[in-house]
This record gives sequence, C-alpha cells and structure tokens, in this order.
Amino acid sequence: MGSYRIVLGLVALAAALLAPLAVGQFWMTLITQIYIYGLLALSVDLLLGHAGLYSLCHASFFAIAAYTTAILQVRHGVPTLLAAPAGILAGTLLAILYGASVRTRGVYFILITIALGYIIWGAVYRWASFTGGDNGITNVPPPSIGSVTVASQTAYYYFALAVVLLCALGYRILIRSPFGLSLRGIKASESRMRSLGYRTTKHLYVAFVISGAMASLAGVLYVYYNRFINPVAASFQISVEVSLMAIVGGSGTIIGPFLGSGIVLGLRNWVSSFFEFHAAVMGIVFIATILWAPHGIVGFFSRLHARGAKTKTAPP
Amino acid sequence: MSAAIEVSNLAKVFGGLRAVDGVTLHVAPGERRALIGPNGAGKTTLFHCVTGTLLASSGQVRLFGHDVTHLPDYRRTELGMGRTFQITNVFTELSLAENLVLSIIGTDRRKWIMHQPLSAFPAIREQALAGLEAVGLADRSDQPVKLLSYGERRQLELALALNTNPKVLFLDEPCAGLSPGERARIFNMVRALPRDITVILIEHDMDVALGLADRVTVMNRGRVMAEGTPEDVQANPEVRDVYFGHA
Repeated sequence: MGSYRIVLGLVALAAALLAPLAVGQFWMTLITQIYIYGLLALSVDLLLGHAGLYSLCHASFFAIAAYTTAILQVRHGVPTLLAAPAGILAGTLLAILYGASVRTRGVYFILITIALGYIIWGAVYRWASFTGGDNGITNVPPPSIGSVTVASQTAYYYFALAVVLLCALGYRILIRSPFGLSLRGIKASESRMRSLGYRTTKHLYVAFVISGAMASLAGVLYVYYNRFINPVAASFQISVEVSLMAIVGGSGTIIGPFLGSGIVLGLRNWVSSFFEFHAAVMGIVFIATILWAPHGIVGFFSRLHARGAKTKTAPP
Repeated sequence: MSAAIEVSNLAKVFGGLRAVDGVTLHVAPGERRALIGPNGAGKTTLFHCVTGTLLASSGQVRLFGHDVTHLPDYRRTELGMGRTFQITNVFTELSLAENLVLSIIGTDRRKWIMHQPLSAFPAIREQALAGLEAVGLADRSDQPVKLLSYGERRQLELALALNTNPKVLFLDEPCAGLSPGERARIFNMVRALPRDITVILIEHDMDVALGLADRVTVMNRGRVMAEGTPEDVQANPEVRDVYFGHA
C-alpha cells in the first residue's frame, strides 16, 4: 500500500515536471489553471473534508487577494514582492472577519457564507471607480522579484507548481497534526469534543482563517496567471464550483481537489468547444458523482484497490 | 472540605416544562452516587446542566467549591468533569487510537499543535494504547470505531471520559442495552476506579446502581424525592411506590 502510493506520487511528479516539454501552450495554461483552482479547492476542503463546514464564500478571499495585488501593482506600481504578500494579507484579514460565521452550524452556516460571498461580489462589481466594475483590472504585469521576471508561460507553470507543491506539503503536515485530528473529531461529533475539553468554535475559527489564507494565496497565483481580474472571480459560481471540485475529486484527501479541478476545468474546456449548454453537462457529472462515487474519484479507486487486495489475499 | 459536586436549587425549564425543578445535591469527594428514577424524572437533564451541555435556568453548580454555573462545557471538562452520554457518543469515523488521542490532548495545549504530525509524539500514542488496554480494546487500536459492537463502543466511551483526567466522572446509563457479560465488565471497571475520582451515575439496572453506589438519590418529576444509602432507599415506601412498583 505505502510503496504503491510513493510510486504513484513520483510518476505524477515526473509527469508534472515534464509536462511543458510534451504539451503545447494551450495545455500548459490549462494545467496551470488546474493547479491554481486545485489549491483553492484544497483550501475549501480543509473545512469541507476535515472540519465538516460547507463554506460557500471562498471566492471572496480568492478575489480580494487578487484585486488587492492587481490594484497595488497596476495603479500604484508596487513591486510583486510587496503586492503579492499584501494580497494574501488582505484576503486573510477578510477571513478573520468572515470567520465569525463559524458561530453558526449546518444550513445556517451555508446561508451566511453565501450572503457574505455576495457582499464581496456586489462590492467589486458595483464599486466601479475603485475595482473597474465589470471590466475589472487589466494589464497586470508578470510577477518579478528584483531583476528576475517570471515572464514566459513555462516559467509561470513551474512557479505555480512549486507554490502548490509547497502548500500541499504544509497542508499534509497540518491535517496529520493534533490540530488536524481535532477538526475531524469536530466533524464526527462536536458535542463529544466539547465534553473532552475542546472549545470547538475556536478550533473551527482558526481552521477557517487558515483556509481563507490558502484561498488568498490561490487568488494571488491566479491574478499573475490571468493578468487581469474581474468580478467573476468573486462570484457564487466559483465558490460552488471549487466545492464541487473537492467533492468530485475526493473530499478529505490532498490529491482529490486537484483531480476534481482537472476534471471540472478539463470537461468545461472540452465540452464548451462543441456544446453551448456545457453547464448542464457539469451538472450531470456532479449528480453521477454523488450517486455512484460519493467519495469522489479517489474514494472510487481506493475502494477498487481495497477490493482487489481482498480478492488477492482471500483463501482459495 | 468542600463537596466534589454541590448543586443548589437547580432548575431547567423548557417552555412550560420544568424538567429539573429545584434540585439540591451534595456529593462528597470520592463518593459513588447513583441517580435513579423513572423515565422523564429529569436525571439526564440534571446531568446536562451539571456538566454544562445545557445551561441551568436557575440555581447553582459548584465543583470543589468553584462556581461553574455559567461556564461552558469545555471549561468544566478542563476543571475536572468527565462524562459519558446516554446515547453513545464516540467518533465513529476515526480509529480507536485516534479517539483516545483526542481525549488525551483535549485538556491541554497540545490540541493546538499544527506544525508537526501526530507521529512526532510517540508519548501520546503510547498513552492512547494504554487507555485502550485499560478497557480491553488495545488489539483493535487502528480499526475504525464503526467496526465495534455497541458494548465495545460503551467501553471506548468510558475510556474517553477517563482520559480527560476527571476528578468527577458522570456516567449516563453506562450499562444500558448491554449483554450481561458486557454489563459485568463495565461494572467492574467502574468499581475498580480509584477513590480520588468521584463517580455520579444514572442507572436503571438496580443491581448495578445499588452495587456501585455509596448513596442513592431518587428523582421523580424533576425533584429529589429521596436520598440515602442503598438500603434506606430500598426500604423507603414512597420510593417503592413510584420506582420499584408494588411488591
């Protein structure tokens, strides 16, 4: 089991490193986008897959971080080295504020996060003098540190890959830590956790802020990738889509949200090239997932694997 | 010396229902106290108010003289209350060892560690295995709880409560729904607890309640109707009437 996972991981890493040599521009930009949305889906899944909270406002942190970086860089000429951390900080500050939503549970939490998400979407859409309204902020320069500019798409591909890998490693430690286990305990039984001495709302709040900070980082990666930002990034649709990415790929795992991101973005690109109602196709995919693979792609394959192992070791 | 648990004139009102209606209770340190009474007498609600799962409508709860009436449940756990629930409440999706780990780190700062994996703390794992050993479940430490039988889950829940290092342990019908063998096991485990832990238990099984308890409190309709040694209570005609039925 362990060695097979290591082999699979190394193959995936090699494929990721070699991909720019094998595929053209189109695929490389698509894969970069998959990494970035995968990171956003991973941030959502810290709450969804571990703490059991269905947040539908993560597009807000993503967008606020992206807008902050874009506005600082484009209008004020602030260098990347300051604009990028400022973006992450702005998104995280919003998460510190929005984290108050963890005082509610279940459907109330979902409704509150939807409302909070619409506040940001409405603000960036309507406050045109500051955010550029519908047009958003265009002409974001490529990120540069000192005299080094990450100008080419290949360079940015590797840059995004490196950031995403570092995040995934940090995330892996986080979910395996005592804190990560505590989140899963809260998901399993909050009343039991409280009677074991956990101030569960505080744990959830901290998880919410960490998750918001990750979403903000994804937002900064996104704005330098896309080179422009508009209100779509803050939309409810993005919040829903990234949750579905996590679910389709495999909630509660690290690779799942990235697989989900690949499936959703890949399908959308492919289907929309010949079918106008591509959103309908996505809907069918989600329904099929819930019906036949409720634990996502990862759950589906690990179940197949477990079944295979069982038949192998079964006595004749 | 102050009482381990001192409840004064406690009431809990749900709308028009006075589920607990002015209960006063003194439990001495080290005592084993059984709480008995017919269904709907308010025993579990009283437990909830004393351990903080619910907040009392009026009255006072003191833990070793410390007023905890308005403290949330997790604070009371930190101060030394441990409990099990009437409806088994364990983490079914997690492994047995993970269940124990959560109870071990729940009352200290280690629950906030996020920069190191659990595997970096072999001492926690050892303590978890020791906790499972104590309830005879050590050989199943890495199985998910959902594979356990109901009786085994009750044992696990007792282990969870014990690993928060309680000074006062509240057991809500620990033996309900168990087979005679499992019942004996829980009974012996509770009886073997050191006397520096005060135990208050709700129990419908008279053999269990009277076999473990130093003193018995009988509740009916939200009030205490009798209190005394097991013999006194059994001899009390009023108690016999509402609880034991007519002989």
